[in-house]
Amino acid sequence: MEGSAKTADDYAKYTGTKGEPKVAPMPLERDALRRFVQAIMDRDPLYYDEAYAKGTKYGGLVAPPLYPVHAFRPPAGGPDPLDLVREDPDADGSGGNDGVYFGLAPLETPFKRLLNGGNEIEFYRCLAVGERCVARARYADVRLKEGKSGAMLLTTIETEFTTETGELLAINRQTLIWR
Amino acid sequence: MAKLAFDDIAVGSCLGTLDKGVMTTAHIMRWSAAVENFHRIHYDHRFATGHDGLPDVLINGSWKQHVLAQLVKDSLGPDGWLWKIRFRYKKMDVAGDSIRGRADVVAKEVVDGLGFVTLRVALTDQNDKVSTAGYAIGVLPVRGGPPVPYPFVRKPAFDTVQLPADD
Repeated sequence: MEGSAKTADDYAKYTGTKGEPKVAPMPLERDALRRFVQAIMDRDPLYYDEAYAKGTKYGGLVAPPLYPVHAFRPPAGGPDPLDLVREDPDADGSGGNDGVYFGLAPLETPFKRLLNGGNEIEFYRCLAVGERCVARARYADVRLKEGKSGAMLLTTIETEFTTETGELLAINRQTLIWR
Repeated sequence: MAKLAFDDIAVGSCLGTLDKGVMTTAHIMRWSAAVENFHRIHYDHRFATGHDGLPDVLINGSWKQHVLAQLVKDSLGPDGWLWKIRFRYKKMDVAGDSIRGRADVVAKEVVDGLGFVTLRVALTDQNDKVSTAGYAIGVLPVRGGPPVPYPFVRKPAFDTVQLPADD
């Protein structure tokens, strides 16, 4: 239960559990791709010059290899993640760490502070313009650890990103540290 | 872009660098808006410093990981493929910091006709302090050999090529 102390066994049961596949609300659009590559300042014509991209092994415009981790945005018509910022001056605006779970049931833990412990990513294919990304996540490892500054919860979430037709794009293993 | 082959790579050499320049608050805000990440530590100075006790608004780790991916992709060139990368965040970067990346070749081997190159990758700030570091494995064609397939297909033989342990 949120807020209460938990044992190592309470956390261990998360390991191996999977979430429902999460489908990006929109296929990759050229304009979203333009904003994305402008923000990372990558001027590779593969991302905007259709004639150039058609002549490459990609056969058309694609997103950068790591784009799938950012393919999931709040769908139109859903709850507004900024409502909480109006109501609570301490709200951080993050929308509850939704971006790390990719469809997994969020961890119930009294730990409040979340740190990114690093990533290990494998790449197989880039998402093409017009394709929709799907994420399938599982808790690869969840365990309590005693650190120098007290207890922490080490979590590895493994997320497989594919196209809607099941072609593998990338696998991201993200280590998260709750303190 | 000059096409690179596995044969051109020397262990110990720098395969590529990438300089993103100074990340101002406007650059950080542009990234947050592009990916709709509204965490206030990235654009709300009063919240970042007053509420969270940070020195300034933070450059997103989520942005820095794309810089690492671009660094390796561009260093390998259009015939190569970034297969794996592992990295950790070593320190925070804040508005006004410059971000640059560097990829150095630490190992190379041919497996099943393809050239695998292991790279040490790092992002540093204007004081050469490392903020993000790790390793990557790139795949390049061997001169006279087959092209690197796209989509890239993992074969059991490739499992011998492993990312080194963290430094």
